[in-house]
Amino acid sequence: MIRQVPVFFAFAILTAVADLTEYATDVIPTVSAATYWRADWANLLIQAVLKFVLVGEIFAHVFGSYESIARLGQLLIRALGVILVFAAAIAAAYASQNSPHGIISGAWLLDQTTFIVESGLLVFIFVFSLYFHLVWDRRLFGISLGLSISSCVHLASWAILGNLGALDPKRMIFVFLNMATYHAVVLMWFYYLLVPSKVTASPKVPLPENNLDVWNRELERLVRP
Amino acid sequence: MTLAIILVIAAALALVFILGVAASRSLQISSSASLAGQIQPIDVEAFRVLVDPAEDDYLRRRLSAAEFRVVRRERLRAMAAYIRIAGRNAAVLVRMAQGALTVGDADTAEAARRLVDNALLLRRNAAFALLRIYIALAWPNSGLAAVAVLHGYEQLNGSAMLLGRLQNPAAPVRISATL
Repeated sequence: MIRQVPVFFAFAILTAVADLTEYATDVIPTVSAATYWRADWANLLIQAVLKFVLVGEIFAHVFGSYESIARLGQLLIRALGVILVFAAAIAAAYASQNSPHGIISGAWLLDQTTFIVESGLLVFIFVFSLYFHLVWDRRLFGISLGLSISSCVHLASWAILGNLGALDPKRMIFVFLNMATYHAVVLMWFYYLLVPSKVTASPKVPLPENNLDVWNRELERLVRP
Repeated sequence: MTLAIILVIAAALALVFILGVAASRSLQISSSASLAGQIQPIDVEAFRVLVDPAEDDYLRRRLSAAEFRVVRRERLRAMAAYIRIAGRNAAVLVRMAQGALTVGDADTAEAARRLVDNALLLRRNAAFALLRIYIALAWPNSGLAAVAVLHGYEQLNGSAMLLGRLQNPAAPVRISATL
């Protein structure tokens, strides 16, 4: 599994380590608030990079083996990526700044920006594969589904959180919603990665005795239609 | 606040779409047995006549400009109908061939891989051709090349026949009414 989806495993481990480190900076009394927010920024940047590399890994697994659509897909996802970055930048520019501290409101905007681009790219991958009726590998589908659910819920939450005051008590509801969603997604990943799928036996294919002739004749038709 | 509402709506729509895809995926798996019955045969010769530029030139010479535009639009709509069916057939073949990719037999797996590539190419070409047809419906005098779709469909037909013969020599998959 680690060889099949190395970026996902790196993402899972590094995200857990980064979140634990950030939690430690939050609860250790000697760590200042400014240090906590710097750790939060570092965590956000690491996670953003990992998420985009992970989206690239998902894309490569789903479309990479199909020559006829891989290039078109790459072209479209790059173009969409540029559009989403611009859209996220515009959304950040027009977002309300509810914290007097730039480092705090900046972290919230970075979160929102990341989730806009991430969810847009993931939706594109689903739309593109749906149009071509591609069958996904079960584990990859689980990873993508979990990541998409998490990014959509976080995007909606951060869009609302960005408009609430820094000390608004309603903030906790959305913080808990984000945490609950992420934990549910982690359980989903465990399910898709660890629980084996039902094995359907492939029927034994009966080949004709003279199938080499059939092969040659049909390959001629393929090469020179 | 308006921006936040837009983002929340966009996120909700994306979530609904993704959950819908997840639900349809499980339905697809359960209904994959009846795939061959979903293929609609197409008369490739009739389609070839429709996309033949010489036919258009002939009609352009014989008809007045207004009459030509009417006839051309009708032909374009017929073309679009053919291409939509070809695209749907390609989608069915993608699913059938993907099921055969994991078969232990190397020949069948190779034929399946080739069929998947051809079917995906056809589906891509069908999307582009439909786009061009819809543009041509607005400007009927513009040129139109649906030949790539025709070529792709003929190639796909050969691949499907081959896979069908390898999987079941008695009953090859037939997606063209002229074969």
